[in-house]
Order: sequence, then structure tokens, then C-alpha cells
Amino acid sequence: MSKLEKAYNELDKMELVSSENSSVHALDPRSKILVTSVYLCLMLSLPLVRLSELLLFFVFPILTAAMAGIPYGFLFKRSLVVLPFALLIGVFNPIFDRETLFYVGSVPVSKGWVTFSSILVRGLLSVQGALLLILTSGFYNVCKGMEQMKVPALFTNQLLFVYRYVFVLIQESIRLSWARDSRSFGKKGHGVKVWSMMIGQLLIRTFERANRIHLSMKSRGFQGSLRMLGHFEWHRSDSLFLFCWCTFFLVIRIFPVSESLLASFRWF
Amino acid sequence: MHMSDALVSSPVAAVMGVVSVSLLVLSLHKIKKANNENVVPLMGVMGAFVFAAQMLNFTIPGTGSSGHIVGGILLSAMLGPWAAYVTLASVLVIQALFFADGGLLALGCNLFNMGVLSCLVAYPLAYRPLAGEGGSSFRLSLAAVLACLLGLEMGAFMVTAETEMSGVTALPFGSFLLFMMPIHVLIGIMEGVATAAVLVFMRRYKPDLLDSCKPVSGQHKVSKKVLLVIAGVALLFGGVFSWYASSDPDGLEWSIAKIVKDGEVSSEPEMVKNMADRIQRNTAFLPDYGFAVGENGGLTEEEMEATSSSLSDSKTGTSVAGITGGVIVLLLVYLIGLLFRNRMRDKSV
Repeated sequence: MSKLEKAYNELDKMELVSSENSSVHALDPRSKILVTSVYLCLMLSLPLVRLSELLLFFVFPILTAAMAGIPYGFLFKRSLVVLPFALLIGVFNPIFDRETLFYVGSVPVSKGWVTFSSILVRGLLSVQGALLLILTSGFYNVCKGMEQMKVPALFTNQLLFVYRYVFVLIQESIRLSWARDSRSFGKKGHGVKVWSMMIGQLLIRTFERANRIHLSMKSRGFQGSLRMLGHFEWHRSDSLFLFCWCTFFLVIRIFPVSESLLASFRWF
Repeated sequence: MHMSDALVSSPVAAVMGVVSVSLLVLSLHKIKKANNENVVPLMGVMGAFVFAAQMLNFTIPGTGSSGHIVGGILLSAMLGPWAAYVTLASVLVIQALFFADGGLLALGCNLFNMGVLSCLVAYPLAYRPLAGEGGSSFRLSLAAVLACLLGLEMGAFMVTAETEMSGVTALPFGSFLLFMMPIHVLIGIMEGVATAAVLVFMRRYKPDLLDSCKPVSGQHKVSKKVLLVIAGVALLFGGVFSWYASSDPDGLEWSIAKIVKDGEVSSEPEMVKNMADRIQRNTAFLPDYGFAVGENGGLTEEEMEATSSSLSDSKTGTSVAGITGGVIVLLLVYLIGLLFRNRMRDKSV
């Protein structure tokens, strides 16, 4: 399957998941945007050596996914795409930072290995947070929520437009790509020359499509801004969701929770 | 070049976010002011175009790999820099949310590295003057290659700087830069060739689309508002980023110090160095990015060390130094700009 077809299937699947019903799906997207932002800020401000506290942040994606009825494996598999980038940057840490931090049995663990693992965990956690936002709200609702949070309408309209036409243009690109493949032999026909004509064609068609869309919008009374249906109302459940998660994140960010947990286990 | 959240710390993400978002708001304001309602659907569909075009690859002859476009310069040539930046920003948001291409918190960094540097810096500084109005295919291609190269190299530099300032990697700044810059020269040339090929195609078959953003005479005049915004951004950079400026020697200082320690420098240059040091000490307004105290000409080396280390510990000293540095640079740039303006006025007379 080509990259384009994969992307199309992914978008399609995510759109389906986001239209399901659950207690998390029913929440106001504004509360989910706020919780995701606090989660990302506090998680990323944790020093790299505090790997044990960082691991506690996994509670958020695991629990919220369970509440939303999304299998955690689905989320985890999608977040793995971030690993190559994180690996590329983190791989130098074990080489340069050899100071011993602690011992597992008699094996010394260097600071470099701890920070390396932290980079990978941070990557996975941040992607899972962002994916959860979109999988439990849907793109339309996130944009609507952002508009209610005073993000300029011109930008949210732009996001909605791009999202709407991504489906159309990916389909068109898949057809172009098939046409090129069926006329090419081996590597011939895949060079810059044919590619530039293909992209040029796509560009001209895109411009013409934009003109047609503009005319049809004008004929339906478009005056420069899109009107969105409905209005979100903030409920008590939204405040509860926001308050509980923010408190949880603050507690693991500020206090060395994992150490006390370990100590209490020993006590038992 | 998409930076993941794993590579940035919250303060760096916040500063870059403020810079990129304020430029985004400025761009939106510019588009609104132009009051061209046709541009709304055009930007939307063009965003989707870039999204799809990035996934259509071509093979690079001689190697087994394939390339694609990022699209900053192509979009700017079609829509103008402001609309291009907004379009690219919307694509980056969707990529971050759906495909984990770049993190949500690192969005400010990504907007700056890929959007601002190519649409708002490389396009007006390199592409516009080089391509000219209705220039030949060769000029168009040259402008596209150079602008893409410039945009990507600046982007690669910023990726390195942001990762280092976040304190994520143990890789020294110099080696990281040596690893990033050469790769991005190749990527930049590839991106440039691809952009040039599409632009030449457009020039032949649909030249009216390329003409849509021709500069109107008098458009180059920079308004006072824009100057104020740039000044604000520079002050923010100077004030906040200077906290993170390293007090360790940079690559060049470090290598020189090593050479000096090895005793490879003869006594004559040593004398010159001492003299230069004395001159610098007497004239430097902000030694080692902190305040200078009193007359330091008469201080011994140890006293100098002590005062400067105690001062550079305080963030206020560093911040004020950063801001003052920013103001001085801005003044210098403004003066150079005045020189150009006077020359242009002479020419027109």
C-alpha cells in the first residue's frame, strides 16, 4: 500500500473512532484541550533523570482510553511512529553521559541510559496525549472548541477547510500515482521531470477547484466566514474532568511520588 | 525536520510558541486587511494540496532514495508570504494531531523552523529579489534553489539550537551542528530543484497564477507597527533566551583554549592576545553578558573572574544584557537599512 493510501485509511479510521459515544466523547472539547495542554506542559517540564515519575504519566492515556472505550493497543501502536526520531536524538546520550546513577543488582546504570529512556517515553506520552484529544473529540469539535476559546475564526476555518479537502486531494493524488505507476517501468518515469508535471497538474486542478468552491460558496451566501452549528456548554462533568487530571499531574510533577510509593511497599 | 515533543523542554517550547503564534496573528491580520474573500477557500485547498504533495515522491538519480517537497517557497510564490505561512501552519497542526509528525507543544518550534524561516525570511530575502518580476526560467530556478537551501539550513540550525537549549541531548552543540547542516544542504538542494521544476512548469502552462503575488510599488515600505512587532520579538529573545545562553566556552573558544593550553601558540601572538584582551575589557559594555562594574582596566585576572561569575549568576544581569544586546543589534540594522534607503533615493533622483 502506498504512503497516500495508508494516510487515507488512517484518517478514515480516526474519523470513525472519534464519532463513537462514551463519557469522554461527551465532554466539552475545551476541557479536553485544556487537560491535554496541562498534561504536555507538566510532563515535558519534568527533568530527564526523573524517569520513575515520568512513567506515572502513562496513567492518563491508559485510563482515558479505557474510559473512552478505545483499546490502548490501538493508541500505543499509532504512537510508535515517533520512536525513530526520538531514537536518533537520544542514542548519543548513553555514549556521552557515562556517570553512574544507580545500580540494578550489581549492574551500574549510567545517567545516559536513563535520559535516553526518558526521551523515548516522553515521545510516546506526548503523541498519545495528542491522539487521545483528536480520537475523543473529532477534528470539527476541536476547531469549534478552539473558536469558542477565542482562536481567530480565520484560522479555525482554514483548519476545517484543509481537513475537508485533504480527503479529496489524497484521493486525487492516489489516482495520479496509480496512473504514473501503470505507465512506468522499473525506475523510469519516477524522476523529477514526470513528478513536476504531475504536481503541476495537481496544482492547476487545485486552483480551479478553489475557484469552483468559492463560486458555489458565494451562491450560498458566504460573506467571508463559516458559520458553525451549535454551541458548547460547560457542564459540571467538564470541571470535574479538568480539576481531577490537573491535580493528578501537579502532584506527580511536584512531589517525588514514586519514591514514597516504593517506601510504602517496603513498609508493607 | 518535524521536531517531536520529546526533544523540547517547556520553556523553549513556550518562547518559540509566543514568537510563532504572534507572527501567525500578524499574518491573519494582514490577510484580513487585504479583504480578499477568494483567498479563504484558496488557502484551504492549497493546504490540502501541500499535504498530499508531500506524500508524492520522486526518485533521486544516482541514489536509491526518494525526495518530496515541504512547500514553503512554492506556497509563498503562489499565495504570497503571509497567506503561505498561515496555510503551512494549518498543515503542521493537522500533521501533529493526526500523524504525530511533530509534537503539539513543539508546534511553536516547528512553525518557526519550517514556516517562518521559509515563508517570512527566505522568500522575501532570497526568492523575491533573485526571481525578479517576470524573470527567465533560469532565474526562477536559481531563486527557488537558493531560497529553499537558505530556508532549510536556517531551519536545521534552529532545530539544533532548540534541542540543545532544551538540554535533551548530551551531544555537544558543535558535533550536532556538523551532523545536521551537511545533510540539510543536500535536502535543501533537492527541495529547491523540485520546487523549481514545479514553478517552471507553472510558468509555462499557467503564468497568470505566478503573477498573482507580484509586488505592487510602495508595498515594500515597512510600517511602524511591523517594526514594533519585530522589536518586541527581538527583546523577548534577548530577555528570555539569554537565561539559557551557556557560560561554557563555545566550539571556537574551546578549540582555541585547547590550542593555547597545549602551548602551541608562541609568545608573540600571546602578547597580541593580551593587548586585545585589555582593549576588549576596557571597551566591552556587557562583559560575558553581565554588567560591567566600575573601571575594570585596573583589576587583576582573579578579581575579574570573581566579579563576572558572581554577576552572571544573577538572571537580571543576564536578561538586561540580552535586551540591551538586542536593542544595539536592532539599532545597527536600522542604521544599515537607512544607508540602503538613502542610496536608493539617490538612485531614483
